[in-house]
Amino acid sequence: MGDVTVSACPACGETVTPPGLFCEACGHDLSAPAVAVGQASPPATCPGCGSTKIDADRFCDECGRKAPSGRDHAQIDIGGMVGVSDRGLRHHRNEDAMALAAIDTPSGPAAIAVVCDGVSSSDRPDEASLAGANAAARVLTAALRSGDDPADASTAAITAAAQAVTDLGDPDRPAESTPAATYVAAVIRGETVTVCWAGDSRAYWLPADTGRPARQLTKDDSWAEELIAEGMSEAEAQASPQAHQITRWLGADGRAQDPGVTSFEPPERGFILLCSDGLWNYRPDPAGLAALTRPAARTDLLAAASALVKFALDAGGQDNITVVLARFPWPPPDDATHEATVPVTIPANIPAQPAKSGDPGSTPT
Amino acid sequence: MSQPDFNVEIFQNEYLPAGGREVNAIVTVTSSGALEAGPAAAAQASEIIIVDCSGSMSAPRTKIEAARQATVAALDAIRDGVAFAVVAGTSGAKPVYPGDGTLSVADPETREAAKAAVRRLQAGGGTSIGKWLLLARKIFGTRPAELQHAILLTDGKNNERRRNFDEAIAQCEGVFSCDCRGVGTDWNVAELRKVSSALLGSVDIVADPSGLAADFEAMMKSAMGKEVADVALRVRTPQHARIRFVRQVAPTIEELTARRTEAGPQAGDYPTGAWGEESRDYHICVEVEPASVSQEMLAARVSLVLTSDSGPEVLGQGLVKAIWTDDDGLSTRINRHVAHYTGQTELAQAIQDGLAARKAGDEDTATSRLGRAVSLAHQSGNEDTAQLLARVVDVMDAATGTVRLKRRVADADEMTLDTRSDKTVRVKK
Repeated sequence: MGDVTVSACPACGETVTPPGLFCEACGHDLSAPAVAVGQASPPATCPGCGSTKIDADRFCDECGRKAPSGRDHAQIDIGGMVGVSDRGLRHHRNEDAMALAAIDTPSGPAAIAVVCDGVSSSDRPDEASLAGANAAARVLTAALRSGDDPADASTAAITAAAQAVTDLGDPDRPAESTPAATYVAAVIRGETVTVCWAGDSRAYWLPADTGRPARQLTKDDSWAEELIAEGMSEAEAQASPQAHQITRWLGADGRAQDPGVTSFEPPERGFILLCSDGLWNYRPDPAGLAALTRPAARTDLLAAASALVKFALDAGGQDNITVVLARFPWPPPDDATHEATVPVTIPANIPAQPAKSGDPGSTPT
Repeated sequence: MSQPDFNVEIFQNEYLPAGGREVNAIVTVTSSGALEAGPAAAAQASEIIIVDCSGSMSAPRTKIEAARQATVAALDAIRDGVAFAVVAGTSGAKPVYPGDGTLSVADPETREAAKAAVRRLQAGGGTSIGKWLLLARKIFGTRPAELQHAILLTDGKNNERRRNFDEAIAQCEGVFSCDCRGVGTDWNVAELRKVSSALLGSVDIVADPSGLAADFEAMMKSAMGKEVADVALRVRTPQHARIRFVRQVAPTIEELTARRTEAGPQAGDYPTGAWGEESRDYHICVEVEPASVSQEMLAARVSLVLTSDSGPEVLGQGLVKAIWTDDDGLSTRINRHVAHYTGQTELAQAIQDGLAARKAGDEDTATSRLGRAVSLAHQSGNEDTAQLLARVVDVMDAATGTVRLKRRVADADEMTLDTRSDKTVRVKK
C-alpha cells in the first residue's frame, strides 16, 4: 500500500485502494451514487393551494393535489456541471433519469454525465431509466479510475446499463415485461469529449462564443434517421408517423452492445449539452439550442439549464424533459470547485417500487 | 384485545377526462386475523339472545318449540367466560336467564341452568321489538364489554308505534350489534332490516322452523369469532370535495352515507361494527374540484380506524386517486370492480322496486323491474339471487331479462327474495 490514492471506506473505516468497487473488508459499495449530495428537496408548499401541509404520501393535506416528488422536478449542481429534469405538463410521472459525477482518474480529472429516457410503452420505464443511469455511472467511474480509455469505459458502461435494464424484466412473463430506455453518456477529460448513445437522447456541442458553429454529436437511432439515410428530407422524415420509433435502446433486443460512440475535441471553450427528446423536439437545431443556452451559461450554468427546461415547458411540455450542461474544457479553468468525489444520480435513492395494483384493469399499460 | 391485520385494496380507474369530477372506487378490506392470539378473549364479549314469545309463536306449536331448540343450540355455542343472557319478548320484555336482569358468565353449570329456563318458555302476548331491544341494552349496561352482540328472533309484525320503535333502535345504535331472524312469513322484512342495518347485523328468513337451530349456532359461532369491535371506515377528502355516497357492497349492500360522524377537518367516520376474519367491499364515490390535465390528486384517503379507550388507531389504509388526462382511452375505461358493484346495487333496487310494484298491483312495473333484476343477476353470476327470482317470475330469456310474473307465488318465496335482495357476489377472479 502506501499509495497516495489510499482512502478510507466510509462505512467501516478500512483503507481501500481505488478503483475497487467494493470495500474488501465489509463489502460496502464504494461506487454507489451518493444519496444525500444534490438530492433535490421537495417543495414545502402545495403548488395548487399554497398550503404547507404535505402528507407522507406527498399529497397536499388541504386540497389533495399531488406535490411534486424529487423526481417530478429535480436539479443538481456539482460545480461546472448541472442537470435539471422535469415531468413536463402531459405525463403524470418523470420517466427520465440522470447521473452526474466529477472524478479523478490517472490521466486527470473527468466529468461523467448520463441521461436515460424510459420508453413509455414499455414495462416500468421509470425504473428502467434509473437503473440504466445508475449502472452506467458506476461502471464509468470504476473504469476511468482504473485508467481505462474513455471509449472502452463508455462501451463497458452502456453494456452494464443495458444489462441492468434487461434484468428488471419479469422472467415469468418475458413477452410483456420488457423494460426499455434510451441512453446518452458523455465523458469529458482534458481536451476530449467521448459520447456514447442508444436511441434518441442527444448530445450537442455548444460553443461559448457567438458566431462559432454548434453541432449535434449524436445521431438518433430512430426510424427518422433511417428514412433520412434512405434519401428522405429531414423535415419529411421527422413528420412521418413512426419518426420517433427508436431502433436501438437499453433492454431486451435493444442492440446496445453495438452503440454509437464518438470522440470529439472541441476547438474552443463551450458546453456539452445532454438532453432527452422532451427538449430537442421543440428546438432540434444546434444553433438554436446554443442561442437559448447563451449567455446565461457563461455566468450561471444552472440558470441556463433551467431556462432550457422552461423553454420546453412553455412550448407544450408534451414529454419529460432532462437537460445536463457541462463546461468544456474539464476541469473548468475558472471553477475551483470541480471536484466531487462521488457520482451523483438524480433521482437519488428512489426505492424500487413493486408494481402495486390489485387490479390489472386499472393500470394503463 | 388481539389485533387482526387489516389489508386495504383500492380498485378504481384513477383517470378522469379534463373537467371530470366524479371519482369512484371499490375498497376491499380484508381482516386476516391475529391467528396466534385467536378471537377476542371471552371476558371482552357479551351475548344476549332475544326470543319472541308472543301468542303467535304457538301457532303452529312447532314454532315456539323450534325457538327453544335454537336458543339451546346457541347457548351451546357460547364459549366459556362469555357473559350472556336470554330475554323473552312479548308486549313487554323480561329476563329469562339470569332472572335478575344481569349477565351470567358462561360455564357448564350456567349454560345448563339457562337451557332449563329456556325449555320452560311459553307463548302468549304481543310483539314490542323496541322494548325487547331496550331491555337488552339495559342488561348489556350491567357489565360493559367491548364486543356486545345480540340475536333477535321474531315471527310477527311489531305492534309498537313507529316513533317508539325508531327511538328504541336509535338508543341501541353503537351499543350492541344485532343479527335478526324472522320465522315463518308473518313478519315484516322492512322492520327487521331497519333493526339489522342500524345495529350492523344481518337479517334473514327462516321459513321452516326446523332450520332454526343450525342457523342460531352458525350466528353464534360467527359472533364468537369477532376479534375487534367498533371499527370505523374513515374517509378523508380534500377541501371542496363532496362525498356522494359510501356504501358497503359485499357481502351485502348497506347504505352508510347518512351514518357519517365527523372525525376532524375534511374527515368522516362510517360505522362497520365488529370484525373477525373476513373481507368486505365498499363503494365510495367522491366529487372533486377538477384540476388541469396531467395533475394528480388524492380524492380520498380511506382508513380503518379502531376506536378504543386508548384513542383511535389506524389498522390499514388505501388511497383513492384522480389523474386528469386528455387520453380518452384511459378516462373512458370503467373499472371492472366498480362496474360489477354498480350492477349489484341496481340488482337489489330492481328486486325491491319489482316486489313493491307487484304488491301494489302494478304488473307492468313489476315485470319490467324484476326482468331487469333477472338480467343483472345472470350477467354478474349471482346464482343464489337468480334462483330466488325464478320462484317469483317465469324466466323466458335471462340474458335480456324477458320474464313473466308467476300467477301464484308462495309467501315464503317472495319474502326470501325480499330479505336476500341485498346479498351480493364478489367480482369473478
